[in-house]
Amino acid sequence: MSKQLDMFKTHLEEFASKHKQEIRKNPEFRVQFQDMCATIGVDPLASGKGFWSEMLGVGDFYYELGVQIIEVCLALKHRNGGLITLEELHQQVLKGRGKFAQDVSQDDLIRAIKKLKALGTGFGIIPVGGTYLIQSVPAELNMDHTVVLQLAEKSGYVTVSDIKASLNWETERARQVLEHLLKEGLAWLDLQAPGEAHYWLPALFTDLYSQEITAEEAREALP
Amino acid sequence: MAMSFEWPWQYRFPPFFTLQPNVDTRQKQLAAWCSLVLSFCRLHKQSSMTVMEAQESPLFNNVKLQRKLPVESIQIVLEELRKKGNLEWLDKNKSSFLIMWRRPEEWGKLIYQWVSRSGQNNSVFTLYELTNGDDTENEEFHGLDEATLLRALQALQQEHKAEIITISDGRGVKFF
Repeated sequence: MSKQLDMFKTHLEEFASKHKQEIRKNPEFRVQFQDMCATIGVDPLASGKGFWSEMLGVGDFYYELGVQIIEVCLALKHRNGGLITLEELHQQVLKGRGKFAQDVSQDDLIRAIKKLKALGTGFGIIPVGGTYLIQSVPAELNMDHTVVLQLAEKSGYVTVSDIKASLNWETERARQVLEHLLKEGLAWLDLQAPGEAHYWLPALFTDLYSQEITAEEAREALP
Repeated sequence: MAMSFEWPWQYRFPPFFTLQPNVDTRQKQLAAWCSLVLSFCRLHKQSSMTVMEAQESPLFNNVKLQRKLPVESIQIVLEELRKKGNLEWLDKNKSSFLIMWRRPEEWGKLIYQWVSRSGQNNSVFTLYELTNGDDTENEEFHGLDEATLLRALQALQQEHKAEIITISDGRGVKFF
């Protein structure tokens, strides 16, 4: 068994060295490579030195990406309260990288964020309606909160009635969650909506997507 | 002529027209409103307004979105602008106001810089010359409304850099 594993490792090394450039340039290649590594229990992103990160500079790639992600999240935090969709994060990161930079996929972003999470930086990944919300502030979000976020994802807002209808909760439970989202700065209150109060999440407001980061916001991102 | 005005993203965000209960969010909201009022008035060259006009203006009333900022909230935004020095009430009832996208002190500074640069300290100008003369055509304060101009000159007067005087057909100013 161990001999097979050794052989596989050797193949992997050969593959890596042969396709070093492609791995750095091509997102699909990176996914394939990561999958292969996972199969034999190798983590190319293991922090610090190591055969893989040195050989391929894959570690550097994700480290740099992590820094970029943090910058974008900081710059947009005052707009969306620290919650951003993976799509918007992707668009802003690509913009920041410019025309000649290496292409970055959503898969790359998730991996980099998982790394950031592991380092205890307060990052979180919340699955919503087929995509993800990336949380970059240590706001306390429990299961009740995340399931309401998922509900809001479709139209960008949610109401007490929506929650009661879809999740079968008591009014009070629904209200508490919405109050919490307001308190954390993740939601804004709309009292002029037809029927009842609407709670809107800037993070899910599609009109806001890929709006330029203003000079003021960029300054926010600097330490 | 007003060029096409670019509304900020908040203007299309329905809750922007509800005063936010969360204190931090409200701070951001009010800052965005102040910014919007000043750029709107600047572009439309509007130096004064009544509260009634404001209520119905596209500025506070987004017809397409079916949201309008209620008058109590408009008053709060106006008070913020007053605190920042960009707004002055024109009557005791607070029904109409002067709106200055640049504070009077800032205008005063620009005017005084031009006076010094062109070596015209100790000269006398009519108010009209300052804002409509050929000499000032390329200056930012060219075309400035009289009410704001007066306040700018008053600010300079306080600093002993100018004196507002009466001349034959109106008012003028002497710079030191």
